[in-house]
Amino acid sequence: MVKIYNDYKDHADFLTIYVREAHPTDEWQMKSNVKDDVCYAQPRNVEQRLAIANDFVKRFSYPLPFGVDDINNAANDAYAAWPERLYILDESGHIAYRGGMGPFYYNPEEARAWLAARFGPAPQTPSRCSSSPHGQ
Amino acid sequence: MSDKRHGARRWTVAVLGALILAAFGGLCYLAGSPKDAYGMIRFALPHMHRGTLRVGDDAPDARLIALDGTSRFHLRERTRQRPLVLVFGSFT
Repeated sequence: MVKIYNDYKDHADFLTIYVREAHPTDEWQMKSNVKDDVCYAQPRNVEQRLAIANDFVKRFSYPLPFGVDDINNAANDAYAAWPERLYILDESGHIAYRGGMGPFYYNPEEARAWLAARFGPAPQTPSRCSSSPHGQ
Repeated sequence: MSDKRHGARRWTVAVLGALILAAFGGLCYLAGSPKDAYGMIRFALPHMHRGTLRVGDDAPDARLIALDGTSRFHLRERTRQRPLVLVFGSFT
């Protein structure tokens, strides 16, 4: 999503909404979380959720604008968002794109396609591999 | 007559058992292991919903908390002159 954000941030606004954990240590923890040292219990209050969200942003220098869902999971419930999901709202505040349920139907390329249809394809960043040797 | 009924019941139980085992096996395959299949059934499926929102619906509002923990804002405050891409997720 960071690449899509960088490609379209001049045309669209972005907002990440941090919701309840998908694989906390006290629920369904994944081996990959242990490997990546992403081990957190499911937050029981908003301070705990904020602490994990801040760890996430710092670890990845995550650039997208950010909001954290309250501990009553109001945003998550309104958008059936858990564990991950994408939406695009149009300028009048209506749903313009509804992504599928994550993780199986979470597809950032669909959101990119919506943005590309509206604003045109993002300019291609020249690949280092395609440049001539030694920068010539 | 009674033997026939018992036989049919046994078959029903056996077929149901085989179907449940096959479903659990399929989940184990999808999730990666029996432990993950249990985790999916116990912790993930109850929270996964298709939702009722459709394209064209008015987007629901919700109050969100900024990363600093002190300020709050409403999701709908961010719908302005441009489309708004919402990215829901968590660290884990």
